[in-house]
Amino acid sequence: MSDTTFTAAEQESSRSTDIPRNPPQRALRLHRELSRVWANDKGIWGQITAVSHSTLGLRFMATAFVFFAIGGILSMLIRAQLATHNGAFLDTEIYNQIFTMHGSIMMFLFAIPMLEGLAIWLLPKLLGTRDMAFPRLTALGYWCYLFGGLIMLTALLFGVAPRDGWFMYTPLSSAAHSPGINADVWLLGVTFVEISAIAAAVEITVTILRQRAPGMKLTEMPLFAWYMLGTSAMMLVGFPPLIAGSILLELERAFDWPFFDVARGGDPLLWQHLFWLFGHPEVYIIFLPAAGAMSMIIPVMCRTKILGYGAIVAAVLGLVFLSFGLWVHHMFTVGIPHMALAFFSAASVLVAVPTAVQVFAWIGTMWKGQPQLHLPMYHILGFFLTFVMGGLTGVMLAIVPFNWQAHDTAFVTAHLHYVLIGGFVFPMMAAVTYWMPLITGKSRIKGLGETAFWVILIGFHGTFFIMHLTGLLGMPRRVDVYPDNPEWVWLNLTSSVFGFVLTIGFAMFALDLLLHITLGKREKRDPWEAPTLEWAMPIPSPNYNYASLPTLQHLDRPARDVIMPLARGEGTLPGAPRNRRELLVTRAIGAAPDHVAILPGNTALPLVLSASICAFVLLMLASLYLVAAFALIPVAAFIWLWARGMAPEGDLAPVEVAPGTTLPIHHRARQSLAQSGLNALLVADGTLFASLIFGLAFLSVVTQGPAPGIAGAENLATLIGMGIMAVALISAAWASTGATRGAAMLGVALNGVALIVLVWLTLTQMDDPTLHTRDALRAVVAGYVALHMIVATGMAAFVANQHARGEIDGLTRGAHPGWRAWQGFTAATAVLAMIILTAQVLA
Amino acid sequence: MKRAVFLAPTLLVAGCDTPLSALAPAGPVATDIAWLWWVMLVGAGLITAMVVVLIALGFRRPSETRPRVWTHGMGLWFSMVVLTLLLGAGLWVGERIQPRNDDAVTVRAHAFQWGWAFAYETPDGSVVETTDLLHIPAGRPVDVLITSQDVIHSFWVPRLAGKMDAIPGRTNRTRLQADMPGTYEGLCAEFCGLDHAGMRFSVQAHADWPPDPSETEQ
Amino acid sequence: MRWLALTLAGPMIWAATFTLVYGLHGVVCASVPGPEGLGQGARLLLIVAWGLGLAAFVPLFRALPEGPALSQRWPYYGAWIGLVATAFTLFPVAISTSC
Repeated sequence: MSDTTFTAAEQESSRSTDIPRNPPQRALRLHRELSRVWANDKGIWGQITAVSHSTLGLRFMATAFVFFAIGGILSMLIRAQLATHNGAFLDTEIYNQIFTMHGSIMMFLFAIPMLEGLAIWLLPKLLGTRDMAFPRLTALGYWCYLFGGLIMLTALLFGVAPRDGWFMYTPLSSAAHSPGINADVWLLGVTFVEISAIAAAVEITVTILRQRAPGMKLTEMPLFAWYMLGTSAMMLVGFPPLIAGSILLELERAFDWPFFDVARGGDPLLWQHLFWLFGHPEVYIIFLPAAGAMSMIIPVMCRTKILGYGAIVAAVLGLVFLSFGLWVHHMFTVGIPHMALAFFSAASVLVAVPTAVQVFAWIGTMWKGQPQLHLPMYHILGFFLTFVMGGLTGVMLAIVPFNWQAHDTAFVTAHLHYVLIGGFVFPMMAAVTYWMPLITGKSRIKGLGETAFWVILIGFHGTFFIMHLTGLLGMPRRVDVYPDNPEWVWLNLTSSVFGFVLTIGFAMFALDLLLHITLGKREKRDPWEAPTLEWAMPIPSPNYNYASLPTLQHLDRPARDVIMPLARGEGTLPGAPRNRRELLVTRAIGAAPDHVAILPGNTALPLVLSASICAFVLLMLASLYLVAAFALIPVAAFIWLWARGMAPEGDLAPVEVAPGTTLPIHHRARQSLAQSGLNALLVADGTLFASLIFGLAFLSVVTQGPAPGIAGAENLATLIGMGIMAVALISAAWASTGATRGAAMLGVALNGVALIVLVWLTLTQMDDPTLHTRDALRAVVAGYVALHMIVATGMAAFVANQHARGEIDGLTRGAHPGWRAWQGFTAATAVLAMIILTAQVLA
Repeated sequence: MKRAVFLAPTLLVAGCDTPLSALAPAGPVATDIAWLWWVMLVGAGLITAMVVVLIALGFRRPSETRPRVWTHGMGLWFSMVVLTLLLGAGLWVGERIQPRNDDAVTVRAHAFQWGWAFAYETPDGSVVETTDLLHIPAGRPVDVLITSQDVIHSFWVPRLAGKMDAIPGRTNRTRLQADMPGTYEGLCAEFCGLDHAGMRFSVQAHADWPPDPSETEQ
Repeated sequence: MRWLALTLAGPMIWAATFTLVYGLHGVVCASVPGPEGLGQGARLLLIVAWGLGLAAFVPLFRALPEGPALSQRWPYYGAWIGLVATAFTLFPVAISTSC
């Protein structure tokens, strides 16, 4: 029964995506028209106001490359210090800052932004659209990344950089053992940077689900899109635990709220759980985009199609889920019962299976086709050798008894560099060399790239292969001297020498890119003769990507056959006749055309907003907490302006995207991109809430004995207060379903009542949060709920304002659907929080 | 060929006979783990070689293979079989070396920034405390109760057993055993601040237990 | 839409079972510190939780579509991923002796 409905649904979706062609026009005229509308402004101002995914994607990658170089220089300092056993090159304090910053930069300021940049630059081209779903958000993410990174770098220059290791274990990173602002730089800086990760995850999800060319079904989309969908889902669920942990630790450092302090009911292991709940998925967040790039490049290099498409997607699915079940393998030595270790050991071993499926599918693709040794293929071979070895040592580390020996030794340092350089840097070098012609429109200078590859490969294995042995001979991580262990000297000296070889290799790679950009000759279109859409455009890629958007008939054909029809405007939405940035939005599953989205143009608002957030972060760093609270006012004001920027204006008439196919514009669409984006954000927000509840549950189990204090949810007054709040919030959620001005005003009032009650409860009925973990956690949950009520109030007021301006009517929906979703989420989490807190008291 | 396979580890072991080497085990716990390592090393070497050969063969003329041979045959079945065997071995060793309620001697290790306070109890009930030198009996299982004064440290004597963290608010238990009397080196393996590198200690295994007080005076 | 939900169902069941068993184990083991073995009642509780997760795959496998299209094969892959993961990662509840 069920299979017939499937086929029926699939047939229907393919019928509805047969879109007739537009009549051909002069390609040059279309190009001029589109360039005028989509181009960045001129000069420096143009860089400040740019929101284009091509500009920002490249800028993300270029900035990440600069941070990679800085992180690399730090690693050379580490290797110089360790080259001899009494290295007097750096003092311990500086050395600790350097290795902490090396790890933090490589993870948060290189790897994550690099993959975000690649996805932002590539995805719209690959899916057949003109930009990411939320161009201003792309820009906001970039500025947050840049400012956060600069804060951390500045701290390093002034000698106050984080120094507690990149995973910041408490209590070493707590106020008692790490006074000064070093740890705050990490907590605030990294959280600031993570705004860009969440922003990227939201828009990558929405772009892949809603902006595929009509007829590009999920079951047929390019593998890179599947990998990125998996990655962005993992980012939405993986980053919130880190953000939650960072907020808790910063609250403990700034306001003495004890979450990790044993004397007051806390537990340092809570930090480790939250950190690795993020930290292990993080490894796969880094690996998946790289694997996605490989799945695109290998078939082209082998002149064939990928082997086992369905199995690869299934493997991605398995990785996405399993990677959330193995975080404890970073904690095998903390004294967790052997049974729990066995769960996580089994999950860690099992996660190798989907990885193996992919590796063998790639090798099978090489068998099926005829590999050609172009430069990207060199890096792919480097990947295979390095990553397979790193994967195997990873399986070894998943075995509990062996982990007890190898944990926190140079063996792990070796393993993680095999995995990260093998599984991310080599594929990224393959990706850059593969897509470079599309970026520059030029061909590279032959020879240097190959030499760079060999120097990198030799330098890498020379540095890290023997480091396995160094670890097994007992050398722990993060030591600056080893005066009593002459047996480690030759090992470390070898690693140091080859480390410099490795650096020279990367420098040669960078030089090759520079020469390519400056001296490269003009390259022909579609140089690799690839079958994917991103090559079906002129090179270098124009800022609007496609003069007309591809449809089903342009998919899965050699790019060279598709370039001209698209450039002549035979696809959908040719040119920019209405002088605004338009693209086609499709439905998530079958990719049937749904509506036309009008994107915002160039604006400095992202820079201004992120600068105001930066001011808040700096004030927090300076411990000026009261002033910092006031600094949130401009942040809120700019967010209001941001939302005003998307208010409906001008021509709201439906658009004929192709002969006979007329679609509404997004203000009048049933499910707009913004709504999809909010849903994705709420997934992340819900995970943040779940992380706090996890903390609550974890500490309830761990904490022995009752908490001190008198007040609590058992008081009648508290129960009544919570009852009023619940009623007010549920009524507000009900009010948010009504699309009238009165409903919106009611929403403002109800949220206000709930907020006042919450403030009253906090002031009169709660113990001082510094007394005990229980009180601190209650205060945090109350803060979470309060923040959501404030935002809900703001959204209701915004909607009321839109009603007053006449921007919402029977057809045009304004911000109303967004408020409704947020209000529902707020009511649900608040009621859930009240039930949990009450249950905790009763239990 | 067969001889070489057996000879190679022996030669390697000789080169690994250093004071902090996990590959020079001096007790049953560390020996079990070292065996696990050598087996995994050989397996990993063979698998790496296999993958390299498969990739090299990929450069021949195109050949039609069934996709399922790669994705299901190699990807699923081959890896599942290898990994299941390995996991089984790991859990079996893990269970073997767990602390249990038997006649093991119990000693205490209390970590602080930056050093170790050790203690053991004599049969007459008096407690002997030492700093940076742990006394244990040789030839008997010893359970170490590990605690911390301030931040997280990690107790590690590579030749006797794996490591176990010292975490504020918790008492962790690990088991180790030295087969022969002698001195074994240990260190703090978890980064713990400025003098992390210097947080070393020694373990002295005694043939007689409790040891003669003259031997344990510091 | 239905095929996507069915594909995700298997891994979701694993995630739910894993969370349930790991959480229960945390509560149980917090009450018996030290190297004592797990009590019979506690072990039974964990095994029952694990069994419930495994049992949830019976209706899932019955609901799977059949056919060669990817949207028919992925639900099948998803269900197997979930089942193998549930069986493989949680079997220690039956064999591990210590808490």
